[in-house]
Amino acid sequence: MSSNVNKKKNTLFLSLFLILTVLCWCPIGYGSYGEVGLIMGMPSWAFIMLVIGAVLFIIEWIYLFWTDLALYDEDLEEIIDALIKDTQETSKEEI
Amino acid sequence: MIAVIIITSLCLVSVYISYVAFRKGFTKTADDYFVAGSSLGYFVLIFSLLASFLSAFSMFGMSSFGYRLGFGSLYVLTANLVPLGFLWYFMHKKTFLLGRARKWMTMGAPFGERYGTPMRIILVLVVLVASIPYIVAQIQGIGVMLEAMSEGIISFHAGLFFVPFFIALYLMMGGMKGAAWVNAIQGVFFSIMVFVLFFFVMMKNGGFVPTMELVMAKHPNLFQIGWAGGKVWSYPMIFGMAAAMCLGCVCFPQPFMHAYSSRSVRGLKAMFLAFGGICLVVITMPTLIGIAGNIIVPGLKGVEADKIYGLVASATMPDWLAAFAVAGGFTAAMSTVNGLVFGNAANLSVDIVKILRPETKSSQLITIARVFVAIIMAICVFIAWNPNTPVAELSIIAFGTVAVTFFALWGAYYWKRATATGAILSTLVGVTLNVTFFFVGGKAMVLFPQKSLLNLNGFLASFILSGIVFFVVSYLTTPGKTEEKSLKLFFHPILTK
Repeated sequence: MSSNVNKKKNTLFLSLFLILTVLCWCPIGYGSYGEVGLIMGMPSWAFIMLVIGAVLFIIEWIYLFWTDLALYDEDLEEIIDALIKDTQETSKEEI
Repeated sequence: MIAVIIITSLCLVSVYISYVAFRKGFTKTADDYFVAGSSLGYFVLIFSLLASFLSAFSMFGMSSFGYRLGFGSLYVLTANLVPLGFLWYFMHKKTFLLGRARKWMTMGAPFGERYGTPMRIILVLVVLVASIPYIVAQIQGIGVMLEAMSEGIISFHAGLFFVPFFIALYLMMGGMKGAAWVNAIQGVFFSIMVFVLFFFVMMKNGGFVPTMELVMAKHPNLFQIGWAGGKVWSYPMIFGMAAAMCLGCVCFPQPFMHAYSSRSVRGLKAMFLAFGGICLVVITMPTLIGIAGNIIVPGLKGVEADKIYGLVASATMPDWLAAFAVAGGFTAAMSTVNGLVFGNAANLSVDIVKILRPETKSSQLITIARVFVAIIMAICVFIAWNPNTPVAELSIIAFGTVAVTFFALWGAYYWKRATATGAILSTLVGVTLNVTFFFVGGKAMVLFPQKSLLNLNGFLASFILSGIVFFVVSYLTTPGKTEEKSLKLFFHPILTK
C-alpha cells in the first residue's frame, strides 16, 4: 500500500520536474517574439522564467528534504553495511 | 597596484589554507588526498562545487552576453541550471552510496566496475582531452586579466606562470580537502562581490527598475526574444543553449569528486540542490549588470564588450572596491582550473596508473597524483603561451564531449541490459561527432541551431545520437562477465530503499 503511494508520489514529482525543466529551458507558453511588457524592470518572460526556476528549486527542496522518497542519513549505515557485506561475500565465493 | 596586491593576497591565502590542510594530516592516505576522507560538510561542499564549476565566463562572459544580447542570455546559465538539483541527485545517488561502500575515488570507478577497464580508460582520456582546452582558456583568461588589472606590471606571460604556480602548489599540498576549502572561500568571495557590484551599478541610475527602463528606451531589442529577424534568441537557440549547459554539467569530474567527499547524505543533497539555486541568483546578477552597462559604458563592440564587467566596476565604484569586484571573477577562473586539474590528476593516477600497476601503494599514488597536477598545469601553460592559440576555442566543446558519457553512466546505474560495447561506442561516437561538428562548422555549428541537424545545435545532435547508439548497441550485444558480475552490486535491492 505504502509502496503504491510512494510510486504515485514519485511519478507526480518526476512529472513536475520534467514540465518545469522544459519551461526553464525554453519560454514555451509564456514567451513571444517581439515587443513585451515589463514586470519589475524585466521582460515578462524573463521574470516568469526566473519565477519558474525558483518554483522548481522549492519543489526539489521538498522532494529531497521533506518527503520519504529521497535518501536520508538514518538509512546510510544500513545501506553501506549491506553493500560491503555482499561485496565481501562475493569476493570470498570467487576465491 | 591595488589589484596586484589583492590577487597576490588571494593566492597566498589559498596556499596557506591548503598548507593548513596538509599540516593537519588531511593528505596522509589516498582516501584523504583524493576524496578528503569523505569528511566534507555541507557548507564547504556547496561553495566548493559552485566555485569549481563557475568559471570566468560566468562573470565576465555573462555580463558581456547581457550587454550584447540582452535578457535572452538568462537562458544560458541561470534558471536552466536549477534542474541539476534533481538530475545530479538521480545520477549520483548511487555514485555516493556505492562510492562509500567500494572506496571509490575517481569518476572512472563506476564505469570500470560496471563496464570493465577499457571503458574506464576511455573515460579518463575523454575527460582529459575535453578538459585541457577548457583549462587553457581559463589560464589565458587569468593572464589577460592579470595584465589588465595590474596595468601591465604583470605581463600576460608572467601571469601564465604566476597564478597557475600557486594553484599547483595548493593542489599538491592540500589535496581534495585543501582544494575544497580554497574553492569554498573563493566561491563565497565572488558571490559577495557580484552582489556588491550589482548594488553599485543599479544605484548609479536610481535603482534597478529605473535603470532597466532607461536601457529599454535606448535598446528595446535587448528585452525581446526572436530579434534580428528571429535569429537571436529564437526558441531553438534558447533550448539548445539551455539544455546543453545543464546536461553538460552532469558528467564532469566535479560532481563525482564532491559526492565521494561528502560526509553525509544531507550534505550531498544540499550541495546538489543549492547549486542551481545559487546560480539562479549569482549568475543572473552579472547578466543584469551587463544589460545595465549599455547606459553606463555605451557603444562597446565585439571583444571590447567582454570588458564590460570591469568597466562598469570602474565607472561606479571606488578604485579599490572595483579591484575587489574584478578579483571576484578572477577567483572564479582560479577555482575552475583547480577543480579540473585535480579531477584529471586523480583520474590519471587512480584509473590509469593504479590499474596498470595494482601493487602501487597509497603513498606512491599520492606522489603520482602530485606529479600529474604539475604536468597537467605545465602542459596547459605551454599551450596557453600563444594568446591566439586556437585550442582555447575548443573549450566550447568540452561540455558536449563530456556530456556524451551521460547514457553510459545512466545505464550503469539504472539499466541492467547496458553493455560495455554500447557504453564505449556511444562515448566514441558522441565525442567524434562533437569534434567533427566543430571542425566542419566551427563554434556556430556546436552552439547554434542548424537546419542540417533538424534545428538542433551540434551539442544536442551529438548527445541524442550517442544515446541512440548506446541503446541500439546494448540491445544488439550480450552483456559480458563484467557486466553480469556488476549487477549484484549496482542493482542491490537495498539501493531501492
